[in-house]
Parts: sequence; structure tokens; C-alpha cells
Amino acid sequence: MAAVLLIESVMKFAIALFSAAHAPSSRRALLFAQAALAGGHEIVRLFFYQDGVYNASASVVTPQDEQDLPKQWRAFVAEHQLDGVVCIAAALRRGVLNDEEAQRYQREAVAVGAPWELSGLGQLHDAVQDADRLICFGGA
Amino acid sequence: MSTLHVLSHSPFGDDRLSSCLRLIGANDALLLTGDAVYALQPGTAPFNALIAGKPTLFVLAEDAQARAVEVPDTAKAIDYPAFVELSIHYDKVNSWL
Amino acid sequence: MPTSLLIISRQAPWSGPSAREALDIVLAGGAFDLPIGLLFLDDGVFQLAPKQDAKALQQKDLSANLQALPMFGVEDLFVCGDSAAERGLAPDSLSLEDAQVLAAHEITALIDRYDQVITL
Repeated sequence: MAAVLLIESVMKFAIALFSAAHAPSSRRALLFAQAALAGGHEIVRLFFYQDGVYNASASVVTPQDEQDLPKQWRAFVAEHQLDGVVCIAAALRRGVLNDEEAQRYQREAVAVGAPWELSGLGQLHDAVQDADRLICFGGA
Repeated sequence: MSTLHVLSHSPFGDDRLSSCLRLIGANDALLLTGDAVYALQPGTAPFNALIAGKPTLFVLAEDAQARAVEVPDTAKAIDYPAFVELSIHYDKVNSWL
Repeated sequence: MPTSLLIISRQAPWSGPSAREALDIVLAGGAFDLPIGLLFLDDGVFQLAPKQDAKALQQKDLSANLQALPMFGVEDLFVCGDSAAERGLAPDSLSLEDAQVLAAHEITALIDRYDQVITL
């Protein structure tokens, strides 16, 4: 009987997050993302939409006895050099502005910086086209 | 084609579970996460709906454990590596945001 | 072959930005010539209720955007018949005339036909 070598293929994931940093689904998204990489797979892009944009905010101050998701996301993206994109329209509406947008709209607070990039929904579609799987987290 | 449906809202006072059960396919599966694990509370309408619908059922273990909700024999408790595997095994993931 | 994407819109028109943000995903996909479908399910069918008056709430009227979908190359529009019936909406009164009204089992098949799905 011939031996069959099972090769697990590397899957490409696009992960979209729709809920704020304090939402349990945001933590689940991060844990899923970590497990995907630990399992040898790739993440083509993290895309933050709707309230998900708050995960990229440097202005969030998490209570000491809670999980600091924005900080953990930043560390995760930096460590694995992932593409972290925040939907610009969703971010503007929610007051999550980077330097450029704060200047453009003459707003005081700059809430987003590296490694996050503000961009359009085209980046979400691009990720969906590139990936084998799209996983969305959000709601509760 | 097969879909992994993912729920994360409590089924009490929310129509995601019933909507999902109405259109879940024979090759699909249902993963309960977050407050959706409350659907496993025995003797409740959502629990009975799950028994009646008989979907292939997975439960995120940490959420059942946190809420002291027992995972019945008809469901499989999973961790995150298994969640990743499921998302690959099924052709797509439909999270009911 | 491009990946096809089904957007399932479940929220009522003015329950927050969700209805609009779902539509934005659809319009962006259409603008990039991608195969996109849009299904109105549960309270999402209220987006198609006749005679709505967004101005009464100082809200944006989405119906113009909805009518523009075919112009953006998005013609695969669907409505859950059960959701509409449960909410007292007659299928022939819905504002998107080109939307196909589907039964539950047809929605199961619809989801199967698409490569990916976003339900919001």
C-alpha cells in the first residue's frame, strides 16, 4: 500500500473586524488571527470597518484590569508585519483620524498612527479577492 | 458548498438564531460563540429550536466555560486552533454580525 | 475568476449606520466591477418599505443609492419573502422592483452560490 503524505495547505485569510475594542468579538478576532498564524497560515489583511476602527485608536485608555486590545493589535501587526487597514469613511465618522485627516478637517485629535493605514473599502474587496477565506468578527 | 455560520448574540430577545436556523443548509454547521452559547440553556425555546433543527453544532469552549453553560453531547466544544481548522473545512464563514 | 461576495443586510434603514455601511460595501464592489450580490433579510427588508421619509429624521435617504445599484453593475438583488411577510410588507410594494423575492430554501441555495459572505 502506497503511503499517502498529507500536506496541509497554507490558507490565506482576510480578517474583517466590525466591533469596538471593548467588544468580546474583538478579542475573539485577535485570538483567531493569532491561531491562524500559529497554524502556519497567512493573513493577507486585517480590515477594520464600522466600530472596528476603534481598535486602531491610540486614544483608547483601557482600564488596568482589562485586556488592552488596541495595544495587543498594534503589537500583533508589528510583530508579524501584517497589513492593517482602517476604513477611512468609517473612521472619520467615528472620530478616529490620522495626522493627514486631522489636518484636512481641522480637528484637534490625532487618534491613528502606524502601523495602521486609513484607506477605502477597495482594500476590503482587494483582500477578499486575494484570500482563500474571509472571516468577519463583530456584533457582540 | 458548505457554510460555517457563526453566532455571537444571546438568542433571548434577538432573532439571529431563529433566522439562521431557518436558512442553514444540510451541509452547513453552526458555531456558537460569545453570548450565543446561552442557546444551550436546557429547557429553553432556543435550546429546543437547536434540538429540532439538528444543525452540526460547535461551541467555543471558553465561552461555555465562562458562563457555566454545559455543552451537550450533540455539540462539540472547540478552541481557537480548531476554529481556524473549521473555517478551512467549510467553504466559507458567515458571521451574523 | 473573481471571488463573488454576497452582502446580507439585516438592519432597518435608520437603526444606526449599518444599512448605509452595508450598501457602501456593495457600491464599492460594484465600482470595482466585482461580482456582488445583496440580500435584504430580517429588519433589512424595511429598507425597501414604500413611502419612507428620511427627511423627517434629518437622515440620508438611501433609496436613491439603492435605485442606483444597477448603474454600479450590481443587479443581483434579493429579498427574503418570509422577512417581508412577517413585517407586514407585501412583496409587490417593495421599493426595489428588480429585487428577487426568495423563500428560505432559496436563500440557502443563494448563499451556497457565492464564494464569500458578509452579514451585517
